[in-house]
Amino acid sequence: MRSKRSPSSSTSPCAPLRDAYHTCFNRWYAEKFMKGHWDKEECVSEWQKYKACLSENLEDKNLRRFLEAEGNVQDDHRKDTADAAEVG
Amino acid sequence: MVKAYTQEYIFKHPWERVTSASWRKFVDKENKRILSHILEVDTLNHSLDSSSGKLCATRAITVHCPGPWFVRKIVGQDICHCLESTVVDARSRSMQLISRNISLQKFIEVEEKTRYDPHPDNPAGWTICRQETSIRIKPLSALASMAEKVEQKCAERFLQNSGKSREVMERICKYLEAESSGFAL
Repeated sequence: MRSKRSPSSSTSPCAPLRDAYHTCFNRWYAEKFMKGHWDKEECVSEWQKYKACLSENLEDKNLRRFLEAEGNVQDDHRKDTADAAEVG
Repeated sequence: MVKAYTQEYIFKHPWERVTSASWRKFVDKENKRILSHILEVDTLNHSLDSSSGKLCATRAITVHCPGPWFVRKIVGQDICHCLESTVVDARSRSMQLISRNISLQKFIEVEEKTRYDPHPDNPAGWTICRQETSIRIKPLSALASMAEKVEQKCAERFLQNSGKSREVMERICKYLEAESSGFAL
């Protein structure tokens, strides 16, 4: 018996927008960010379209939390590191 | 019980190229066949500190993780959501990733920490990747009685997958190298 491969929060309706954003991001990362041009963020319109789609289609509550918490990424990471240190 | 292990690997490519490959490995379509356990990757948020050159991002990764039939029966699903948070410091040339599962947490906790740094012997040309993984079956879960066995099985599967992951990274690095010197593969 094999359970179906349908994750509860399938975001596949966003796949074309996701691909567009990731392609843009990867190019920016390699060609700009890695070459010291980190003053300007790019792929903004790709990100906004993709994020709007995610907001509509992401069902998982756990994941939604992170979608809504934009700008707090670094805090999360710090917290993660602190948590990990406690566990270890 | 906790099963923990570390891995180290040297890429004979510069840090800039290796970290570019790290972002791409789960999203480039060509890798889907090899990394078939990765079902979906979504970026949930990201931020760029334009004064310090620090980039942070959180991604959701949906993984297919089939266990033995009796584990599947207890857990009731073979799909797991993980959260990956990444910090890249372009100025000091470091990349750190922390991934952990956010579903099935009442049964198991998996945490994987990865760092990419310039190799001390050849900082301009090579990159060292260090990875620490810990797998812990929750003591009071339905899996507790077979914890050791399940942790062992998980570890075997993860090691297999990280081997595939490295293979994919090496291929992307070669591709990026060719691209940067003006050839397309």
